[in-house]
Amino acid sequence: MDRLLEEKFFKLLMLLSLAIVVGSLFMVVTVIVWKGAPVMTISMLTQTSKGGYYLGGTEGGILNAIVGSLYLGFGSMFLALMISLPAALALQKDYIGRTKAAYYIRLSLDILWGIPSIVYGAFGFIVMLYFGVKASLLGGIIVLTLLQMPIMIRAMDEVIRLVPQELKEASYTLGATKLETTAAVVVRQALPGILTAVLLGFGRGIGDAASILLTVNYTDNLPGSLLDSAASLPLAVFFLLSMPSPEVQQRAYASALVLLIIVLALSITSRYLSRRFMKNIIR
Amino acid sequence: MKSHISIRNVNAFYSDHQALKGITVEIPEKQITAIIGPSGCGKSTLLKCFNRLIDLTDGARVSGKIIVDDMDVLNHSIDITDVRRRMGLLPQKPNPLPMSIYDNVAYGPRIHGIKDKKKLDQMVEKYLKIAGLWDEVKDRLKSPASKLSIGQQQRLCLARGLAVEPEIILCDEPTSALDPVSSQHIEQQLLKLKSDYTIVIVTHNIHQAMRLADYVIHLYLGEIVEHGAANEVFENPKEERTRAYIDGTFLSDMKVDEEIDLKGNVCPYNFVYAKQALHALPKGKILRMIVDDPTAVTEVPRGMEADGHEILSVKQRNKKEWEIIIKKQ
Repeated sequence: MDRLLEEKFFKLLMLLSLAIVVGSLFMVVTVIVWKGAPVMTISMLTQTSKGGYYLGGTEGGILNAIVGSLYLGFGSMFLALMISLPAALALQKDYIGRTKAAYYIRLSLDILWGIPSIVYGAFGFIVMLYFGVKASLLGGIIVLTLLQMPIMIRAMDEVIRLVPQELKEASYTLGATKLETTAAVVVRQALPGILTAVLLGFGRGIGDAASILLTVNYTDNLPGSLLDSAASLPLAVFFLLSMPSPEVQQRAYASALVLLIIVLALSITSRYLSRRFMKNIIR
Repeated sequence: MKSHISIRNVNAFYSDHQALKGITVEIPEKQITAIIGPSGCGKSTLLKCFNRLIDLTDGARVSGKIIVDDMDVLNHSIDITDVRRRMGLLPQKPNPLPMSIYDNVAYGPRIHGIKDKKKLDQMVEKYLKIAGLWDEVKDRLKSPASKLSIGQQQRLCLARGLAVEPEIILCDEPTSALDPVSSQHIEQQLLKLKSDYTIVIVTHNIHQAMRLADYVIHLYLGEIVEHGAANEVFENPKEERTRAYIDGTFLSDMKVDEEIDLKGNVCPYNFVYAKQALHALPKGKILRMIVDDPTAVTEVPRGMEADGHEILSVKQRNKKEWEIIIKKQ
């Protein structure tokens, strides 16, 4: 085959794949905005549901789901970050990275990454039954943390492994300890990647419906404490969309739109932050 | 001559490959010691043993003793961070830390407990001045170190290493990644620093060793071939291998104007071809010929010398080939 033709053909193929990705994303967003925007009123965002959606009721808003999702999303994100960052740092060569154990830890994390979230939910449900805890925010946050940890650890691990060895050596030769080197050099150099990992986990956590179905349940009320049940946006979409009335279904799209905006806002913020942090990165 | 680093029977292994074999030598205080030798002879490994950076390499083991100020560096019960603080390292490739110029220099003092902003400011200025970088960066101390040119980065690394106030500076081919002007800059700084510091420089640049060194250690295949005062080793090496290394370096640096390949030719043809090739060259030019006939190795140089040309070197390249370098007169 003519090499020039070959070149053009494969370039076209790549652009086509890209078009499919961008196009489908665009369509998803369009449908959600198209259907959700008309019912997006102030009261939708500031009032809790007045109930009765299963009878076609459209009173009140989805504040309960927004608040519930923010609690669940940020709560589990911070908890997962607290555990994942030290865990990922421990997988460095300087700590246990050279051992056989590290290999198996990475392998099991990769497997955990692939486990469907409903399985996490079922597991959480069994544990909660055993301890006699009823469906609550706390249970949901813990299950979502479990769901996010493998993602965060492996994503962080990959960027931390990319930190050049010479940078660590430079720090060691100045008499720094492993901890000082890790905190001042490794984390700093890998920060944009770490932020991305956190965002990846957050996206998975806040958007997940299956794992919180059994562990948090759903309610029209705002949660008063960690031990209360709470509503959430993904479950709002699920319940509202399964109703026959089109007015109720529209509210499902509005919920999806809010969810989209939350993820987008966090994503843009982290981009902005990582650009500021990136200033000093060695490339 | 007062010894500062005392190396006693040091052996180093990478998995089952022995990189250093029974190294025993003293490194003099407040002088520049050059470790010379071809690539892969163990120069960098020896340097890495001094500050035990070799610990970070997979499968590396070291035995023996390296005594610095009555403390055995290789003893694993000592505080290695303290040993490393006493030895600044100037790496082969500049490796600024992912922070600002100021923070790069202040990094060392900070981890060793200096918190006072004023004192840090003074130290940063002082060591950037010593490294000859202050004037170029004083207006942009807060900008990222990665924005500096590579030569400036290397001087920054020098300043950063000096800021922890070491007694010893280790340099691992510190100019091999730099342009000639930056290299000269670094060399000048090192010469200025030797009155206050013991400097050990690993280099495969023999000219650099000659310019800088007071004391020379020649390593070959993990063993010490020769060590001694620089002028003695360079002018009058005791060991044939040292002489060959020094001469070889010069010849490989020398510009060869013409090269002829006489492989497959026997006497007297190779002799005739060599004569013709020399005849065609202008006076003072250099000819390299490759021969594989054992007779030619002795006879060709002898005959050319008889014609008045200067034989610069005769060297065996591999099992079968020799190279003869002749200057036309």
